Amino acid sequence: MKKYSDWSRGDKHYGRSGYSSREPHTSYRYQKSQTREEVLTPALKEHAISSSPMAMAVDFKTHVDQACRAAEEFVNIYYETMDKRRHAIIRLYLDKATLIWNGNVVTGLEALAHFFEMLPSSEFQINMLDCQPVHEQATQSQTTVLVVTSGAVKFDGNKQHFFNQNFLLTAHSTPTSTVWKIASDCFRFQDWANI
Amino acid sequence: MGSIERKQGTFRYTEYNGGESHALLGRKRGQISFLASTGKRKGRYEHNGRVFLPSKFQGDGGNVEMRDVLQDPSVRYTPYAMRRKSREDQIRRTVWKDGKPQNKEVRQHTDEMLGSWFKVTIPCGRKSDKTQLMKSVHSLCSMPFTAVDFHCDKHRIRFFVQDVSTACALKDVSYKMYDEDSQKIPVFVNPSDVPYSVLNRFTGEQMEQLKLALRKRYDVSQRALNLQKLHSDPDLVHHGIDMILTRRSCMAATLQIIQEDFPELLSLNLSNNKLIRLDSLFDVVEKAPQVKILNLSTNQLRTAWELEKMKGLKLKELWLEGNPMCSTFSDNSAYVRAVLDCFPELTHLDGRKLPLSSVMDIEEPQLMKPCKESFKGSEAIKNQLQQFLQEYYLIYDYGERQGLLRVYHDQACFSLTIPFNPSDPDLSGLCEYFKDDIDMKNPKEFYLQRQLLKYTKQDIVDFLRALPKTLHVLSSFQVDMCFQTDTMLCFSVSGLFKEVEGSSQGYIRGFMRTFIATLDRKSSNLCIVNDQLFLRNPSPDEIQGAFAVPLSTSCSTFKPVLSQEQQRMVWDFSNQSGMKLEWSQKCLEDNKWDYTKAAEVFTMLQTESKIPKEFFRQMT
Repeated sequence: MKKYSDWSRGDKHYGRSGYSSREPHTSYRYQKSQTREEVLTPALKEHAISSSPMAMAVDFKTHVDQACRAAEEFVNIYYETMDKRRHAIIRLYLDKATLIWNGNVVTGLEALAHFFEMLPSSEFQINMLDCQPVHEQATQSQTTVLVVTSGAVKFDGNKQHFFNQNFLLTAHSTPTSTVWKIASDCFRFQDWANI
Repeated sequence: MGSIERKQGTFRYTEYNGGESHALLGRKRGQISFLASTGKRKGRYEHNGRVFLPSKFQGDGGNVEMRDVLQDPSVRYTPYAMRRKSREDQIRRTVWKDGKPQNKEVRQHTDEMLGSWFKVTIPCGRKSDKTQLMKSVHSLCSMPFTAVDFHCDKHRIRFFVQDVSTACALKDVSYKMYDEDSQKIPVFVNPSDVPYSVLNRFTGEQMEQLKLALRKRYDVSQRALNLQKLHSDPDLVHHGIDMILTRRSCMAATLQIIQEDFPELLSLNLSNNKLIRLDSLFDVVEKAPQVKILNLSTNQLRTAWELEKMKGLKLKELWLEGNPMCSTFSDNSAYVRAVLDCFPELTHLDGRKLPLSSVMDIEEPQLMKPCKESFKGSEAIKNQLQQFLQEYYLIYDYGERQGLLRVYHDQACFSLTIPFNPSDPDLSGLCEYFKDDIDMKNPKEFYLQRQLLKYTKQDIVDFLRALPKTLHVLSSFQVDMCFQTDTMLCFSVSGLFKEVEGSSQGYIRGFMRTFIATLDRKSSNLCIVNDQLFLRNPSPDEIQGAFAVPLSTSCSTFKPVLSQEQQRMVWDFSNQSGMKLEWSQKCLEDNKWDYTKAAEVFTMLQTESKIPKEFFRQMT
């Protein structure tokens, strides 16, 4: 897939289409990433609670930063896995995760596995990415991040479509690390009505 | 300001938003961790020179660390894992399998060749697609490898690889693949002698001669290489080169030259070469991927099963006549079917055009048909959403956006993202949205990606109020309910809106908005905690689709039954009467949209205290 890899760098323009596609073999340089099927971060730390509004704003921005890093990392892995190691995509989902694909609802790991197997091979290109930490009141204190992406995808045998996708990622902590998994995934072609 | 933890080795902290390093402060319960960032953010995991152990120790569904991993002493014993040292450790004495005396050429080979070779065996079922299996192995394997001397029969695949690390990597693939019976497939890797074709590799000189001979047989205009009866080629015979293509070494040399000199090869003629098996041709898929025409006639191929090894080629024309396999079929159609099984896009077999019907059996991978509904919750929720959105956009478009304060949570979060596409001038209109925040003259900061993040409802509403006035096209709305629990809803709306003022007046924009709202069951109130907005320029098709089709027949889950006029009436009525929008609407509907009449009826009922309290908006 073409990556929006530049957008992580603060001073670069996002969504550039000047990214050259890689040949299959050169991507082996980054092979290490391919064995990753889950998204891990270091263990969550307890933070001091700050009180002044100014500090709260800084707090919040920090949180957003952190959320975004997790999101970015996740999105990288997700689309790469979708394109190159489709069989492993299921590991990124929670057991009870739900996928809504162009309006079709797919729930549970087994159904998801079947769905991804039947889905033709894909080539994703992400143009936009945004994320927000979800307010704890909505999630009953389960750390959650909302990630929204948009871009183009070409499925084998079909023409290219622009799509919008959003994920809810939840964090599960162990003493040493945090695993992020997809709790919900909603995908839709922008031109879904015209297919 | 505390310092950043650097437990996990060196990494560079990239600045975000040009800010300085952040303190490790957090929200109330510090739920989101501080993620150490690596300096190079190339979007892929970069191996910073650390030892990256094979995934053996991870068990099933391995968790893999994103950061540099320190060696874990509890790793299961893996004989090869620790020893990625020089090949001197691994040099084996080669034994000539067929007992032939060593050829002079072999002695000239370097240590590299004589280095560690490993035989990889993958047992698999009769029915499994060997080509597919090899593809899986390639993709699962953490290192690229070249399969030398590939051989497969019905029950297994066997090939050789050259060094220890590749062998380890391949070992890791074991039990990661599934066959048709969903059984895990093992991969056996054992040290072995040098494979045949490497052993009997052609010398440089021989290769040169071969190259010349092949070049003579290459037709540039047709991109065709005619290797018919290669063993009796006068040039080769003259130089004493025995090109018996059934021998792996010969075939390997040929393929190497093809890969180097004729990569665009379209047509390959291998007839009359006494080929018995096609194992050695397995590589042709990789080395001459563009081959569409293949002639294998008059060889010694015994079963159609041999063709499976070439499945990776997308052949259009194939010749097989004159092979023993042709007589193994009961009739011609069985023969054709078997061949088409391997090469579904074939149009000509043995020179004869295949009837269209057999060619049309290609199964195109089907995408699931999109559908508009994705509401799996109750009707009640669905209606609630409809109401909510209708009300939200009513306020947004017609009313004072100040009114939105009551739908946002105190600590709500809003972000706006717009793609930056220098080649799309229209998008500059969207710059309106950022006018206060970005220095537009400085291109470096002009990256329109998640630049706007507003926190707390006051900030959010202030920002929304500053946005240009809009008119949302409710008929273009597409609503997806992404996630719901007892206490929250996550849904996304996408559609179009028109800008009704400002420099971009008249422009149609596309948007996608994802809301997360807490649901108060008792009062059925939705309170937005997260709001994410994407703006983009819609395609002409979208615009046409939204405006051409009148209301309810459109592809929208959103049923705006009101015209603009009616919406305005509802809004005004609601303001004047103090009733919620839905009830204002009902009242107007009941009175056939006669505003004055509805007002009279309302006043009458109100004085009679017949209107329930719930009908009225809460005053915040």
